[in-house]
Amino acid sequence: MSTLVQLDGIEVDHDGKRAVATTDLEFPEGSFTSLLGPTGCGKSTLLNTIAGFVTPSSGRVLMDGAPVTGPGPDRGMVFQHYALLPWFTARGNVEFALKRFGLPRAERRERALESLDAVGLADAAEKYPTQLSGGMRQRVALARALAAEPRVLLMDEPFGALDAITRARMQRLLTQLWQRTCTTVVFVTHDVAEALALSQRVVVMAADPGRVIADHRLADDPASDRTAPHPLHARIVAQLGTDS
Amino acid sequence: MLGEGLVPTPWQTLRAAYAMWADGTMTTDLQASLARAGQGFAAGASTGIALGFVTGHRPRVAALVGPVMSFLRPIPAIALVPLVTAWFGIGERAKHLVIAYAVFLAVWLYVHDGVARVPADHLRAARTLGVPAWRRLIEVLLPAAALSVVAALRYGASLAFLALVAAELGGAQSGIAYRLQIDGQFLRTDHMFVGLIELRLLGLLADALISAAGRRLVHWSSS
Ligand SMILES: Nc1ncnc2c1ncn2[C@@H]1O[C@H](COP(=O)(O)OP(=O)(O)OP(=O)(O)O)[C@@H](O)[C@H]1O
Ligand SMILES: [Mg+2]
Repeated sequence: MSTLVQLDGIEVDHDGKRAVATTDLEFPEGSFTSLLGPTGCGKSTLLNTIAGFVTPSSGRVLMDGAPVTGPGPDRGMVFQHYALLPWFTARGNVEFALKRFGLPRAERRERALESLDAVGLADAAEKYPTQLSGGMRQRVALARALAAEPRVLLMDEPFGALDAITRARMQRLLTQLWQRTCTTVVFVTHDVAEALALSQRVVVMAADPGRVIADHRLADDPASDRTAPHPLHARIVAQLGTDS
Repeated sequence: MLGEGLVPTPWQTLRAAYAMWADGTMTTDLQASLARAGQGFAAGASTGIALGFVTGHRPRVAALVGPVMSFLRPIPAIALVPLVTAWFGIGERAKHLVIAYAVFLAVWLYVHDGVARVPADHLRAARTLGVPAWRRLIEVLLPAAALSVVAALRYGASLAFLALVAAELGGAQSGIAYRLQIDGQFLRTDHMFVGLIELRLLGLLADALISAAGRRLVHWSSS
């Protein structure tokens, strides 16, 4: 697989303080990678650097070989707190993402409904975000992000605010969507089991300064339901030290 | 104690209102005052909203503009009346300016604050979805700050009437507050009560109109 996103020796500072030390990472097209680490280790900072919200103080982010200079629709984002627009319905939020394609109104609407159907929300299309549960909101956010047809989907603890059952459902949904769309995913979490359940690869980070301390390639078929704990689980927990 | 006849009965007030309406002064004064308050309000509110969006959205501009506003805010509009009169005379322009000044400062503050509080994630989400700047303004910033804009306009409207009174007392040929002053010289407290009630009713009406428009526009926050 070819490299889609490349972090080329990036260093990131926040207010003169090093948030992420020199980091080189490559994300192949179609891959599913988790960034795992304790709080403050720079997971969000790395993700925001890829998104183009944060400019590295040195090094470059390359997207298909071209330097990233700011946010763009080729890099979609799913936020922990959904970031849905309260004045639009679920369908309105998805159409908000679709408008850039300049489709006729009826077709845009059709595609929005299809996107919502794909996340199991066909019935909630005309509901406002405040009328939806947390899990449903995150489904809308996922549908919206995918509707813009990004090449990479950046997800910052997207299921962190959900209860365990909803979370497990969302994980299954995400795996399905990933397999269907072949979108490259970079998924931030501090839940070891979640990272192992979803990803092909788990990048472990440590804090002070934020840096990558391990890069695990998992066996294929990440979606299979594992009853026994993953063999890497204990090792990664040990790498995370006392933080996890 | 107040002298006899200085506190009009409701009946006397009603009769005075009828007399003022019948001889046309009420219409003239209402028209003059409403035109002043309306024009001053429109000018102050529109510039306040526009600048509020700019400074609320651009911290660097806010850092430049903020200190100027903090310097101006403690200067009451009333204190400007003599100065503005010295500059522009007692014409309408001076009155619009005084009203616009009072409205502008208040509206700017509320709108700036509201825009600055728009969740960063909303704007970030829009940018990662490839939403261009003009659509981010219309579909994200405007609705997100709409409640603040409504609050700003309500407060601004009440200040417009305050400033209107100050401006008319500073020298005018017509208007509700001008009439209050004239009637005061003749101790016509019945006429004065009519003027005060007019001001009160205009204030209530403006507030009710703005709130009603706000509730219709900002339909999502009540659900
Ligand atoms: N906007 C900012 N301004 C200043 N410092 C920041 C900013 N954002 C992050 N930092 C600092 O950078 C470091 C990395 O933060 P970051 O948010 O990337 O960590 P994280 O791994 O996402 O943590 P969490 O798991 O809590 O979300 C921390 O020390 C944090 O305090
Ligand atoms: Mg984070």
